[in-house]
Order: sequence, then structure tokens, then C-alpha cells
Amino acid sequence: MQNTNAKRHGLSADESRQLCDKILGLARADHTRINITSGIQGFTRTAINRITTAGETNNVTVRITSIFGKRVASVDTNRLDDAALERAVRDAEALAKIAPENPEYLPELAEQKYMPVDGYYASTGDLTTESRARAASLGIKAADASKFVAAGFIDVAAGSQAVATSNRLFGYYSGTAVASTLTIRTPDGLSSGWAGDEDADWNTIESERIAEDALRKCRAWRGKTALDPGKYEVILEPTAAGMLMSRMLGVFDARQADEGRSSFSKRGGGNRLGEKLFDERVTIISNPAEKNAETSPFTNAGQPVQREVWVDKGVLKSLAYSRFWAMKQGVAPKANPSNFVMSGGDASLDDMIKSVKRGVLITRLWYIRGLNPRVISFTGLTRDGTFLIENGKIARPVTNFRFNQSLSELLANVEVLGRPTRVAADESGAAGTPVMVPPLKVRNFTLASVSDAI
Amino acid sequence: MQTKLDRREFIKLAGAAGVAAARPFQQTTAPGPDAAEKDLVMLALDAARSAGASYADVRITRGNTELVATRERQITNVSKNETYGIGIRALVGGSWGFAATRDLARNSVAAAARQAAAIARSNDRINPVKTTLASVQKFPDGRWMTPHEVDPFTIPIEQKAQLLFKTNEEALRVKGVRFVTSSISSIRESRLLGTTEGSLIQQTFFRIGPNVNVTAVSDDNGDFQTRNAVLAPRGAGWEYVLGLQMQENVLRWAEEAAAKLTATPVQPGLWDLVLHPSHLWLTIHESIGHPTELDRAMGYEANFAGTSFLSPPEKVLNKFRYGPAFMNIVGNRTESGGCSTCGWDDEGVPAQSWLIVDKGVFVNYQTTREMASWISNLTKVRESLGTAYGQDWASIPFPRMPNVSLQPNTQDVSEEDVIAATKHGIYIEGDGSYSIDQQRYNFQFGGQVFWEIKDGKRIRMLRDVAYQARTPNFWNSLALAGGKSTYRLGAALNDGKGQPQQLNAVSHGCPIALFRNVNVINTG
Repeated sequence: MQNTNAKRHGLSADESRQLCDKILGLARADHTRINITSGIQGFTRTAINRITTAGETNNVTVRITSIFGKRVASVDTNRLDDAALERAVRDAEALAKIAPENPEYLPELAEQKYMPVDGYYASTGDLTTESRARAASLGIKAADASKFVAAGFIDVAAGSQAVATSNRLFGYYSGTAVASTLTIRTPDGLSSGWAGDEDADWNTIESERIAEDALRKCRAWRGKTALDPGKYEVILEPTAAGMLMSRMLGVFDARQADEGRSSFSKRGGGNRLGEKLFDERVTIISNPAEKNAETSPFTNAGQPVQREVWVDKGVLKSLAYSRFWAMKQGVAPKANPSNFVMSGGDASLDDMIKSVKRGVLITRLWYIRGLNPRVISFTGLTRDGTFLIENGKIARPVTNFRFNQSLSELLANVEVLGRPTRVAADESGAAGTPVMVPPLKVRNFTLASVSDAI
Repeated sequence: MQTKLDRREFIKLAGAAGVAAARPFQQTTAPGPDAAEKDLVMLALDAARSAGASYADVRITRGNTELVATRERQITNVSKNETYGIGIRALVGGSWGFAATRDLARNSVAAAARQAAAIARSNDRINPVKTTLASVQKFPDGRWMTPHEVDPFTIPIEQKAQLLFKTNEEALRVKGVRFVTSSISSIRESRLLGTTEGSLIQQTFFRIGPNVNVTAVSDDNGDFQTRNAVLAPRGAGWEYVLGLQMQENVLRWAEEAAAKLTATPVQPGLWDLVLHPSHLWLTIHESIGHPTELDRAMGYEANFAGTSFLSPPEKVLNKFRYGPAFMNIVGNRTESGGCSTCGWDDEGVPAQSWLIVDKGVFVNYQTTREMASWISNLTKVRESLGTAYGQDWASIPFPRMPNVSLQPNTQDVSEEDVIAATKHGIYIEGDGSYSIDQQRYNFQFGGQVFWEIKDGKRIRMLRDVAYQARTPNFWNSLALAGGKSTYRLGAALNDGKGQPQQLNAVSHGCPIALFRNVNVINTG
């Protein structure tokens, strides 16, 4: 599939293993763990219809974790000459010797079996500065032709990760990611439209469509008028849904739940595993081998990351257990989700709009911050295309809103789910943790106040 | 950084640091450039010039961080990080290109410089507008170091851990408190900047970021509340941590976490707000610091951080009323202890201080060399105000926020005076949840601790408080600012901006202040 014979960015498996062996050969601690991250990041940035900056960075970072008994410390360095590596090993060991004991430390893992995942797409890894500039210029041309103003970002990452321990564990993963996002504004600053794609494979990034969609949104949002804040039926386009849902990545922690400081804590003690908490059409999984959303099949500690079902038909099915907490609770360890994959339905976005009597269509969100972890509530704002829907049709563009919304309630209030797609869920436009979600129609979404921002 | 190898040597060093603490810091002791690094900078500048760059700047940075983190009675993280490399920014025909590498072999450095020029040339083929740079004085031997008494890297890990454990232990004495996390981040950064215009500047930065977070849980696991101590990071040495008296103060933070479990939920509506500096700094950051960045106002950040309501410049400069006539806001890269304080910015422009809001009126933005000419006909300032910054060697320099601070009342107004001037209000300490729109109008801020004020007295604790406001309305509701004795610095080490996103460390000073009739919501 994604493999070619061309040289990949980042250290190869052999190079990684050799580097790990060299460092382990220098080690004198009871145990040692090595993590290597290597590769390139390339970017092209546009604003006011020009390329403002572009660049490429290559780096290799090595983390050396040394352990004496239950004393643990780590040193990160990007200096790989023999003397620097030896110094880093000695530093890590010196720190570990004087670090207070960590009573929760468990011995390093021995050899593990990982699911086979190759997330490296040559189309992304081989992308040149010129190709990025050509793709970026499509947005500029689209804006120029309408006398509008474009600002965009193409972010490319290609490289590898490796983990090794003095107990003979070795893991290697190689992958790519790319995100292309574009904002087009009117020169008077009174309208703004956004579109973007994210994937592991550059060949799936539709630069022409991104330019067309951003321009279309910007045109359609002109002449926005006021709408009272309140509770509305809303349609969250996939990017808006993904930006909210990605906040769920950190909530499936068993220890937080068992210790009474999570939405999944049970009053009186314990957690809410097995309870039906959400609409029965809500199923959330994570899977390192998910096509176009691949991730490493191991954690930094070398723990295997498997396909997991976190929510099955609305029922809380799994929580993540660190090795320590798993041992304490007498269950098997389970790594945190490395990506977020939510099931959907068959409805198209048009079908969903047609089904709304009075509601609001939301393109994307901004500045999302936690409010109350007890109910997984967040605040944030709508941005770059917000529309009133009346009687199954877009009625008019409306002002932006601040929302205050519990995600627990949102997942219980889902009415229609569309077809899932990978989205650019990171507000910064960086190619980040893969998030695949459907567009969502949700009732009782709280649009708390009006924002004048455009 | 020279990390020592055993406990005895650590202690020896700490002793030496103790002696150093007795001597006041002298800027004249700031180190100059390493000879090998200087050679590489010159090599890269030559290579960029030979590849056609009309201007280039080269930065070699070595960033060292050390983290000691605990929870309750155990260590959770002891780590050190070093990142070292070179970044070259080249201007060819009026367009920028950037390349960076960790490989400091001479041929790799020269190749990276040529790559930066090649990327710039590629961009220039399709760029209609050309970048020009404001003039700057040449500094062929610039040297600067963060004023500090004790290098935090000389304090043994054990000493840091013991301080954190003792702090945690104190907190756990309070009924209802079940969890405490605490940590100390120490940061040292060496930056060598060279430009094709002849500047060579070596700077060494120290920053330190302590943190304590206390969680209380109700007996039935039905509720939990946290109290973050909101200990501001500081451009300083270990002496700053000692001055915080974490062990002594944590009892109050822990009691407040427990008290929040049974505090009265706030009644939504209009309230006067008395905002402590540990809270107000973040409101300043979001609603004044960001909208006065000129690159935002001109559309350079439209795809991520957003634009600004302070635009276009000709309609707002010297015209827009931000707040009352006693409101003065200063951009200041010389603020003592500021996280953004420096000797020069990343374009070799000297650190300076300037008015952003003068007697309530918006009078200037934050600029770099590329941006100075865009507004010089309005501000009469032809040179850069010195806000260029790249997070590290791998990051291209671009406009980043200086320390932006609200000046205190010229009268000696105390915290008690401000509370006494409040009839129906909420006193807010510490920053909490924060969110603001992409043009910096609509914001919503929470906090850590909330006290109801009635008829000039704090009467009881409230919970689940956040306020929502529109920036111009909020600042024009500023009714009273405290005097110099109430002035404090708040700060963040992780202010994000740019694509790829870069982090910036920045401080904001302010006195305690009273705002009238602000919309308060209940987040419970």
C-alpha cells in the first residue's frame, strides 16, 4: 500500500535498533529504556494572498530512562555523537540515583507483540517545498479571483518512533501526517469562511475543493444578522464535531474514575463501566491500524496499543488502566486511546439540514476550554460560517456564538449521525492525533452568548 | 549545562550557589559566544548570502529544561531535556525561507543555509508583495543574561523533591483533601544570534515555573473541587521559588479546595468584580496583549489565532478608547522578572518599553522589523519595537507578545480600599477556565477562588463562577485600580501562536482592580 522504495524520513528500523543497542551498551543502571523520535516537519504558510513563511526542520530526539530499583529518571537529547550519548546516559543514571523512589514503578517490559501497522505514505513523505507552494497557491488564486483574502497552512510530518528496553523489548513505527487548512475573508473583514482536510496520505487532500469550500463559506456568510442566544438544535459539521469529540480522548482513565474525580466516577465509589450513558447510536473506538488514521501500536513505555471499544451503543465499555492501576485493581492493563474513531450513519449533510425545523449549522469551533470535568463541559466559540436553518433550508447567515456545553449531554442528545471522515480537529491546523467523526445533529445545544467576532 | 554526576558534587554546587546568592547580579557577567558556535553562525551567514539571500539571520539555541514532579508522597517525574541546533532564516527577493537542523557538522549547517535560501526563492516566484525590513543598530558583541541570584540547575533534585513533598504533606492534613500534585520546571536557554547586517548577540535566559494543585473530594465521591495555587512562572533563579513559601501557603490553598465543596453556587447576573492580579493578568493577556499584535490586525494569523477588533490601524490608532483615562498599558521587554524580558529580540532589536494604551486611548501595536513601516506614518515610530521571537532553533522567528502590563494607580490604593469600594461584588483570585473569540471581543473567564463582597466586606465563598464580557465594554467598566503595593506579575510559559504553533513565555503585571456590572454565569 503506502510503501515505496524511496528513502523514508526518520531513522529506519535498523538504524533505530543500532542506536538503541549502542545506548543500551553504555548503560550501567539496573534497567534502561530508550525512546527515539525522528523525522521532518515541513510547512508552508500563507496570509494576505502571499506565502508568508515556509520551512523544513529535521530532528532526532532520544529519551534515555534509567532505573535503579524504584528510582527513575530520564534525559532527552538531540545530540547523537558518541560523547554526547555517553554523557546523556551518565546524566540519566546520576539523576535516577538521587531521585526519590517511585513506589508505583513496575519493572520494564520484556519483548512484546505489537499489531503490524505501517502509517507511512510516500505521497506525504516525498512532498516537496514546490508541491506545497503549488497547493497553497490554489487558495490564493481562488481568493484573488474574487478579490477576497486567503490565509492558509499546510503542515507535513514524516518520521519514525522506536522504543527499546534492557529487557530486550523493541518496537518501531513509521508514519506520516498532513493537514491543509484555509481561511478566506472578505477584504472589509465582514465575512470569513474555512475549509480543511487532514490525513496520513497527501493524495487524499483535495486542495481544489478546500479552496472552493472556503470561498463558498465566505460568500455565504456575508450579511450575517443577529440571532438570540439560547438552546438550539444544531448541526455540527465534521470539523466542529471532531474538535469537540477530541476532548473525549483524555476522559477514559480508570484511575481518575475510581478516585472520584471524573465524569465516570460512581457516587459511593467505583466507576460507571457498563452503564448506558449516551445515545445508543454512539459507538467510540480507537484503533492504531485505522486506515488513513494510523498511529503507533505501542506507548512510550512499550505497552501494546490495541483496538479498543470505549463506548458501545451508548454503553461505557472500557476505561484505560496504567500498568500500576491495573495491577492494583486486578485487571489487564489497557493503553489510552491513540486515535478517536466514532461510528456514524448514512445521512448526508444535506439530509441532516433537511431534517431541521429550526436550528443552527456550525462550521468549526475555536478556543475550546474545559469548564466542569464532572459533566465534561466545555466553552468555546463558533467560527467561519454559522447559519440559521429554518424548515429544512439554510435561512440566513448569523453571528457567532459562545457555547457552554456538556459533552455527556451532547452524546445523550444526538439525533442524527452522518458519515464519518477524518478531520483537522486541532485548532492550530497541525496534523495531530487522528480524529474520525461523523457530522452530528444534536438537540438542546447551548449557545450561551453572541460573539461579534468574524 | 554541566550536569554533575553524584550527590556529593550536587551538594557542593548548591553550596557554591549559596555564596553566589549573596552577590547582586551584574549584567557585565553575562557570557559571550562560544567560539565554535560563532564559527558556525558565520559559516551559515556566508552560505545564505552566497545562495542569494539579501538578508539572513542565524540562531544557535541550546535549551535545557529540568522537571521534578510529585503527587502526594511519591515522585512522578524526574527528567532533563536538552535540545540543540541551528535555524537559518533567509530573505530572497523579498520572501522568507527557513531551514533548521540538529546536525551541527559544517557541511550540514551550510546545506541548511542553502536550503533556507532555496525555499525563499521558491516562495518568491509566486509572491506579489515583497518584505522590507526597518533599520536596526548593529551590535557586534551583544551579551545579556536573565538577572538571577541562584542558577536553579545547581539545586539538587533531592532538595527540590523534598520541598514539594513537604508542601504536599501540609496540604494532605486538611480534611477532604485527597490529592496533591506539585512540580518545579527549571529552564535555561542559550541563544546566539548572528545577522548579515553584522550583529552577534549571545543571551542566556533563566525561567522557573513552580506548580501546586490540590484536589478535595466529597465523602461520597459525588463531587470534587480543585485549587491551583497559580504560582506564576518567572524570569528568575531559585531564589524566586524560596520566596513563594509554598510550604507555608499551601495550607490556605488546601483549605480553599475543601471549602469549595460546600461553597454557595453563584447567582447569575450583574456583579461588580474585584480581580486579584493572580487572575487579572490572564484577562490582560487575552483581551489586550493579543489584539494589539500588529500581525494579527493585518491578517497574518487569520487561519488560526485570528485577527483583531483593533483594525484597520488608521481607524483605531490614537482614536479607540480602550478604557478610562487612568488606564495605561505598557509593552515592556525590560520588566524585572518578566518571562519575555531580554536584552535583544530575535532580530537584534534592543529590548524596550512603550505605551500601548495611553490615558485610556489605544496608541500603538507590537511590531517587528518587517512590520514597523506598515504603521510608521500613524505612530511616527520608524523602527521595530522588538517583538520577534522563535521558540527554539527549529522555529522561525515571528511577532510574539512582550510583557504587557496595566500600570498601577499613582495613589496608594490598597486591596482593602478596593474591596471597601464594592457594594455587591465578587472577589476573584487565580486564573481558571479561559476562552476568547478570534477577534478578541467575547471572552469568558473562570478563576480559582471566589468570595462574595457585600457592602465593602468579603462575606462568604462562592463557587462555579465565570464572567462573560465584550472587551471594550469590560475595560471601560474599570472603576478603580490598586496602587503600586498591589502590583504583581502573572505569567505563562506556553502562550501558543503561529503555524506551526510556537510557544512563548510572557508575563503581565497589574494591580488589583475593580470592574462594575459584569455579567456573571454559573458553570456548575
